[in-house]
Amino acid sequence: MNGQPVPQKTTTPMANVNPSGFWKRSKNFRVAMLYLFPSFLLFSVFVFYPMMKTVYLSFFLTDYEGFPSLFVGLENYAYIFQSESFRKSIIATFIFVLITVPFGVLLALFLALLANEKLKGIGFFRTIFASNMGMSVAASSVIWLFLFHPSIGAFNQFLATFHLPQVEWLLDPSWAIISVSITTIWMNTGFAFLIILGGLQNIDEYLYENANIEGAGYWYQLKRITLPMLSPTMFFIITVSLINAFQTFGQVDILTQGGPAESTNLIVYSIYREAFINYQFGPASAQSVVLFLCILVVTILQFKFGEKKVHYQ
Amino acid sequence: MKLRQTLSMWLLAMFILVLGACSNGDAKQEEGDAASKEETTEQTEETKEDGEVTEVVFWHAMGGDTQVTLEEIVEEFNKENPGIEVNPQYQGTYDESITKFRSVGGSKDAPTIVQTYEIGTKYMIDSGFVEPVQTFIDEDNYDISQLEENIINYYTVDDTMYSMPFNSSTPVLIYNKDAFAEVGLEADKPPRTFNEIKEAAEKLTKKDGENVERAGFSMLNNGWFFEQLVYTQGGYYVDQENGRSGEPTKATFNGEEGQRVFNWLNEMNEAGTYGNFGSNWDDIRAAFQAEKTAMYLDSSAGVRGIVDNAPFEVGVAYIPHPDEVDPQGVAIGGASLWMSSGIEKAEQEAAWEFMKYLQTPEVQAKWHVETGYFAINPTAYDEQIVQKEYEKYPQLKVTVNQLQDTTSTKATQGALISVFPESRKQVVTALEKLYEGEDPQAALDEAAKQTDRAIEVAERSNK
Repeated sequence: MNGQPVPQKTTTPMANVNPSGFWKRSKNFRVAMLYLFPSFLLFSVFVFYPMMKTVYLSFFLTDYEGFPSLFVGLENYAYIFQSESFRKSIIATFIFVLITVPFGVLLALFLALLANEKLKGIGFFRTIFASNMGMSVAASSVIWLFLFHPSIGAFNQFLATFHLPQVEWLLDPSWAIISVSITTIWMNTGFAFLIILGGLQNIDEYLYENANIEGAGYWYQLKRITLPMLSPTMFFIITVSLINAFQTFGQVDILTQGGPAESTNLIVYSIYREAFINYQFGPASAQSVVLFLCILVVTILQFKFGEKKVHYQ
Repeated sequence: MKLRQTLSMWLLAMFILVLGACSNGDAKQEEGDAASKEETTEQTEETKEDGEVTEVVFWHAMGGDTQVTLEEIVEEFNKENPGIEVNPQYQGTYDESITKFRSVGGSKDAPTIVQTYEIGTKYMIDSGFVEPVQTFIDEDNYDISQLEENIINYYTVDDTMYSMPFNSSTPVLIYNKDAFAEVGLEADKPPRTFNEIKEAAEKLTKKDGENVERAGFSMLNNGWFFEQLVYTQGGYYVDQENGRSGEPTKATFNGEEGQRVFNWLNEMNEAGTYGNFGSNWDDIRAAFQAEKTAMYLDSSAGVRGIVDNAPFEVGVAYIPHPDEVDPQGVAIGGASLWMSSGIEKAEQEAAWEFMKYLQTPEVQAKWHVETGYFAINPTAYDEQIVQKEYEKYPQLKVTVNQLQDTTSTKATQGALISVFPESRKQVVTALEKLYEGEDPQAALDEAAKQTDRAIEVAERSNK
């Protein structure tokens, strides 16, 4: 499902083509197919087949055993587009994406720039910043659940010591989406940090040396060297974060179960609810198809406009 | 050169990502599978050794301390019955367990016994994956009348007992006696009606400026409590007399009875005397123990834990009812045990033995005092361990009395609909909207509308 944004520039050498026979001319193609075969096989079983099946199911209603029993055409699509709950879910998802992706990536960039400095003991900080990568979604959500606890949570206790008004972190619909976003940003920072740090380390030293000789300041170097050289990495991490944000599930399930008043009912959670609580695989599949199209459009847009700003050396 | 390096770094990162994602999801599953496989092989070996042990796979949803008690009971049974080996397997929450059962129901892989929550009753009957326990009651001339009448009523559909009740609970009002004394309320005379609760809540609420330090009254955002407050007024959740006399077609919980409940909650919420602690059982219990709320509705199964952990005197009372209505009592919550169809007869009979064993007074007495669930067999209440426990926890007695005071009607028998889990979710959403200031009637109507649609879809697709 994840579109993998590896910007490949095909450089197949077509020099030694012998025009005499089709068999010989297609040699490259056949070799390519041979190499691609294993991944095609795996993709077919684990990606293409389930995708096709999802599209198929979206035209049906299912019985108690989950088998498609009644063909309803586009009714499931008509239903979800009329349903207020689905519209809320789409809006919540976009709000969530707009909060988590920019803040998450900027935070990771900031930490990576700090950790890229050559200081004594910086390895310790690099480890710490990347350490939450090792935590599962479930474990970190439970920790945050305690922090957000309405009566005995650390955040509210903290506010209480300074006589500040209590915040209903997960119970107030407008706060809940922010709380889930904070949790998500925290959880994703480790991975983004590591990738960006890798990108920073990959920038050639001599560029900075030259700049130093020329007398360029830190901010100038950051703007003219670091960020342009980092752009492929940033492009990658933004794309992956976007896709991840659209597919968020675990933290919602543990923190809010889509509530209060459906304010955090992100689309994947809504699909889960439809399929595994309501046992309606038809409407659930229709939602999945819509999600797939959303991600597809966003990814294409990003490649079309975002990639122009990417500087490949 | 640079490009290739960056590329390979990405690929590596993607690889780690994919690997991480896979292992996250599957590791637990595999662990579980491996463990259960081990168990199964162990048991098959045993079977081969003496040739006549029947294995009964028992899926349950009892976690925590309750699981420990349940496993002790099973162990005792296995010791007493050398020919039968009951193998209890924890399958997660009720929702998870029923989802898993859906995928194996009716096949050879189905467990012999599966524990399902009360609101799954209708689904289980309609699924065709189960053998009514009535079959065995008739074959065995088992005397069902020895069991608690109000519990039996819930699980009897069209004069057929489909499943064996096992862990039953009802809602109760739990309150902080010290707080009552502090504001001059009589601690031994808990409020009974909606208005009494409202007035008491007003007195009990403590505010520090805008901050509510202690709310007067709270209720978990769970459809179960709403259902109970409707039933106690004699109201129906769905038409066809709560789905008890025919296939229900429409939700009726947005009628007069439901409106009274929503209006009552709304008035307290607007007055700032209502505390909303979300939909998690542990959260509201923690709130009560931390004295963030003075009264709340809980399950009778939670009473013992609360009394043990609260740093103040805890009172337990019947659930409230509107002033103008005579209370009819409560419907059963909890779960019952279902027998799979399509498995070997010998296995079913072994499972039946186990079910009968669970209903004996001794087992029920242990179950009752250690978990707080009711004794399905009321003679268990005369057992000595129960009597001794009541001296220590007189509050437990209130829960039993409330159940025995219940008038059995189609309302207090509880509703039967196959899409109950979905409908309950809708009611939770309606409650959450209500607390955010939406009009009570509008919120309730929306939940009813969604329930109607769910009923209609289920009806169309399961012809």
